[in-house]
Amino acid sequence: MSLSPRFTLTVGILATLCLAAVIHILVVLSIPRNVQHSAYDNIATYGTDRKFNLLPDVKRGQEALPDLDPAMKHATCRFQLADGPVLFDASIPVSFWSIGLFNAAGEAVYSLNNRTAGAERLSMLVLTTQQLSILRENPPENLEDLIVIETPEPISGFALLRAFVPHSSKADEVDLALRAARCGTI
Amino acid sequence: MSETSLKPRLTSGETDWYENELPRVIRPYRSHPLRTLTAIALVLVLASLLGISSAYLVIEREQPLDAVTIGPWQAYPKAGTAEADPYSVAIYTRGAVIPLASGEGLALVARQDSNGHQLDPTCVYRIAGQTPSARLWTLTAVNGRGDLVETLPGRVHVVSQNILRAPDGTFEIAAAAAPHSGNWLPLAAGASASDGLRFVLRLYDAPVTTGAALDGVSMPVIERTGCP
Repeated sequence: MSLSPRFTLTVGILATLCLAAVIHILVVLSIPRNVQHSAYDNIATYGTDRKFNLLPDVKRGQEALPDLDPAMKHATCRFQLADGPVLFDASIPVSFWSIGLFNAAGEAVYSLNNRTAGAERLSMLVLTTQQLSILRENPPENLEDLIVIETPEPISGFALLRAFVPHSSKADEVDLALRAARCGTI
Repeated sequence: MSETSLKPRLTSGETDWYENELPRVIRPYRSHPLRTLTAIALVLVLASLLGISSAYLVIEREQPLDAVTIGPWQAYPKAGTAEADPYSVAIYTRGAVIPLASGEGLALVARQDSNGHQLDPTCVYRIAGQTPSARLWTLTAVNGRGDLVETLPGRVHVVSQNILRAPDGTFEIAAAAAPHSGNWLPLAAGASASDGLRFVLRLYDAPVTTGAALDGVSMPVIERTGCP
């Protein structure tokens, strides 16, 4: 059996298009798994894990991470919940600050700002469900005052703390507050 | 269907049994391995080229597909969440971009003015109107790749707390490379049109961080007032 040239051509074009669609989808889906420098990796260059590291000021040519606001100062902390719960503690004397928790893939897990935190001081505990049940058996006295964020899996991730600098005269004060911010064990 | 066309002519013996007079469908098939192989290789190469280049173009445009558009402004409220579409995930992870999470605020990007023209860093723009309610907002001018630029006074942004407003709460900002009176958003000094320009409006602690809440909010207009 042989096919007419026009039929062969149609089948060929259809096959090409279907295969192209499959390849397109595979390429798009494989990009997140094959990026060389994710935000999670980039942050590691600014200091050790489980510690807030101040990022350099957002200025031309020395942006630590893309798409940061030049009106803000930023500090990041990388953590792995497998190494134990993480306590975030900071007191930043400015009119606006916010913190975002992201997993290693860069997806937001939790976020809050100084109004939704309900207090001037940020004190937030991130841990897995299992770690929380262990902690409940012998709770620290300030557990009630903490914002507790439970994750089902022991995730690796990072926190990005943003603090608004209303005026350059406040910059040093914000720097100090961000340096003093804690990110570590209870 | 006529009888004669289906049968080989009796006069031509068995030697020319694959004569072309047989209808195509029942003509005996002679394989051409080289031709088949070439065809398959061609299909594979073309499909790979098409698939990879289309994926590259979509990702390189750096505009997630699920944008919420309000006038010239675009927001991607789902970016950086577990519900983001695969294209946004690819774009954001490839650029190592950390988005504003919903509890922090919302970023809106303008690549065009209100008339639909591409923004040009050599022109003068008037950004006027109101923003959705937010405790704090900043407006930043970046180039077409999203990088910060060199400006005359050194700053590249204006902050809601420091701008002059009309008695009704509206504001007017002049975006230009040369100094302007009133609210001035400095643009790149000595830029050429090919550098591109984007305005990024970041609303902090805004109730409008979800896509649905963005419908019908008033956003500032971007008007081109002059070009060299």
